[in-house]
Amino acid sequence: MPRDSQPYDETVMTDLLDLTARALEPLRDLLATGTEGLRTHVHHDGRIDPAALDAHQTAAHGLAWLATYVQALTQMQNWAERLNADGKFGEAEALTHQIAFGEYLNQIKGGISVSQGEILRLSDIGVEAPLDDPAIRTLCRDGNTQAARARLAALIADNAHATFGASGLDDEMEMIRDQFRRFVQDRIAPHAHEWHLSDTLIPTEVIAEMAELGVFGLTIPEENGGFGLSKTAMCVVSEELSRGWIGVGSLGTRSEIAAELILGGGTETQKAHWLPLIASGEVLPTAVFTEPNTGSDLGALSTRATRTDDGWTITGNKTWITHAARAGVMAVMARTDPDSADYRGLSMFLAEKTPGTEATPFPDAGITGGEIEVLGYRGMKEYELAFDGFAVAENGLLGGEEGQGFKQLMRTFESARIQTAARAIGVAQSALDLALSYAQERRQFGQQLIAFPRVAGKIAMMAVEITVARQLSYHAAREKDGGRRCDLEAGMAKLLAARVAWAAADNGVQIHGGNGFALEYPISRVLCDARILSIFEGAAEIQAQVIARRLLG
Amino acid sequence: MKVLVPVKRVIDYNVKVRVKADGSGVDLANVKMSMNPFDEIAVEQAIRLKEAGQAEEIIAVSIGVKQNQETLRTALAMGADRAILIVASEDVHHDVEPLTVAKLLKAVVDEEAPGLVLCGKQAIDNDMNATGQMLAALLGWSQGTFASGLEIDGDNANVTREVDGGLQTIKVKMPAVVTVDLRLNEPRYASLPNIMKAKKKQLDEKTPEDYGVDASPRLEIVKTSEPEARKAGVIVKSVDELVEKLNEAGVI
Repeated sequence: MPRDSQPYDETVMTDLLDLTARALEPLRDLLATGTEGLRTHVHHDGRIDPAALDAHQTAAHGLAWLATYVQALTQMQNWAERLNADGKFGEAEALTHQIAFGEYLNQIKGGISVSQGEILRLSDIGVEAPLDDPAIRTLCRDGNTQAARARLAALIADNAHATFGASGLDDEMEMIRDQFRRFVQDRIAPHAHEWHLSDTLIPTEVIAEMAELGVFGLTIPEENGGFGLSKTAMCVVSEELSRGWIGVGSLGTRSEIAAELILGGGTETQKAHWLPLIASGEVLPTAVFTEPNTGSDLGALSTRATRTDDGWTITGNKTWITHAARAGVMAVMARTDPDSADYRGLSMFLAEKTPGTEATPFPDAGITGGEIEVLGYRGMKEYELAFDGFAVAENGLLGGEEGQGFKQLMRTFESARIQTAARAIGVAQSALDLALSYAQERRQFGQQLIAFPRVAGKIAMMAVEITVARQLSYHAAREKDGGRRCDLEAGMAKLLAARVAWAAADNGVQIHGGNGFALEYPISRVLCDARILSIFEGAAEIQAQVIARRLLG
Repeated sequence: MKVLVPVKRVIDYNVKVRVKADGSGVDLANVKMSMNPFDEIAVEQAIRLKEAGQAEEIIAVSIGVKQNQETLRTALAMGADRAILIVASEDVHHDVEPLTVAKLLKAVVDEEAPGLVLCGKQAIDNDMNATGQMLAALLGWSQGTFASGLEIDGDNANVTREVDGGLQTIKVKMPAVVTVDLRLNEPRYASLPNIMKAKKKQLDEKTPEDYGVDASPRLEIVKTSEPEARKAGVIVKSVDELVEKLNEAGVI
């Protein structure tokens, strides 16, 4: 286990893996007790009563976060044991593991900070648990100490600019990571801040290079013109691209969602037509779901699709449509049953459109759009769209069947959330990269900033939480790759990764001091970019709700 | 024409090198390793020759530990056609010496009969800058070192070399060994489809015994130590003061 002949620094706890393994058992019991207890409050006739669930929302969401922490620590344990078996559990990995357990166990006991100013405690869930198991007590006391954080920060500093810590993935995934890391360092990172500040679209040459690298056909099966890689590979690529800039890391999101929609719900003709075009990057897709009055409550949306002699026309308003102007195909969700009021009357359309230019963003008849100016997450631009009799071809109805739109969309959530968790991890990693180099370059009171324990501690915690979120998202990806239902795992990964990214960005700015508040410094962009992560692809509250419903169902 | 490209697995250039506590070498356990950057340039150049129709097959070869497989897979993903791994060490800390590597490469050259060997001018781990030259000598081939430009012209190669004070272009007779410098090209990124294809490419595993080469070390590492930390200096206000300080230090 130790690096070569050198013994571990004394900050690594003895019998660490054994201790952490023993700490998990009482946590699982706690989660089971909490779930059982809450179930008695929110169940009615053996099913969840939505009104009762809302009445106990804090408890339910507290339970969702508790379950997320337990799952996160479980995955950390699996990661640590796998590395240990391969002889790759080095000092840095051991410290990461130990700090993660020390910190998360203490939070479980004292209250989980789900956002600034919102701490969910075990008492909120209605469970009383002293958690005085000796393993937990030891880890709470000695796991996340200043000495451990300082030592970890020193090890991270030695590996500046490399990806820190063993990912636990195989060589092929690491080769993919290295290649994308290099691409990003050469082609994205030097320009990202300038693109952000000038609020321009990602240059088409960069999109073309990404297409050549295979970004848009990553998980599309080979028989459909893609490369048939795993969701794990998608995580690695999304992480590394987002580490350069969330904008480029998010280009693939649209292709992933569109491809998942078509693979899951499309006819053979639709698959044969659209998938190769999306995989090659020839056609950039966009997702057109949200409306001015319906964000999270998608079932209530009101854009109408009406049959015509040779197809459909779409009329209604949509908003937060990313990369809309440049897209060549829109996945539009609209109401085809005018008498319906919920998700059952919704259908999904693959609506072809002419990609626009800066001068004429929406050249087609029946569609107009206006840009929404945003804090961060730039590079693709956000639009509101107004459809007024926009024509969609007869074969544009996904799957050729009405009323399936919501279900078809739901099937894409797992992948979209895993991909978003990966984007969040990339953003967090970029905050860590920037904060680390600033903390090494900047000197105050005669020493590097990183020599101060509070600064080193922040850097170490960023690395620890990035590792935790990463292992949680790889777990979700593996479940998806194994063909197993993973909405719970994907939701947990997204929920935690978004918080981790925001914390990393916020602390990154803090380490930069006043300079972090200056637009000139890239960390200011990372802060803006990180903020979207707990809002889009299922807001943190919705994510907790979904997790709670699964746990309590 | 076949092109042979030797690639070495070295400590990643982003990683801070740490000397082992006992001074026997550099600590490489659980350290990120990558293809020697100069070798990446050599692989890229070989691919460009193939794309230009001047080479038919690119064979990447690596000598070292079993994990060098990863390095070869990267070469294959970039565009090499097949790979040979010669496992000459069990321990990542044992660096196979240039002469042994050169002898093994000669044996591979004898077997494969390439028209050109393209290698990095040196490996960034120990900066020996020796293997290419030794190989050329063992083979009795011409050599062009520190190439920043390479053109194949019939039976000759025009090699532009980075020398002190400028560039020198020499014409060498093929077959030849060419060692490449930093400015020759910018290596490509391996794309996802090519990474997938690389998995199916041939990678043969051999040992020094297969080639009848004795790989036992001829050099003994006496001691490895970190460079001395730089001592704090003084800032002088004038030339006179500088001269005075230098006099004091007894260096002028």
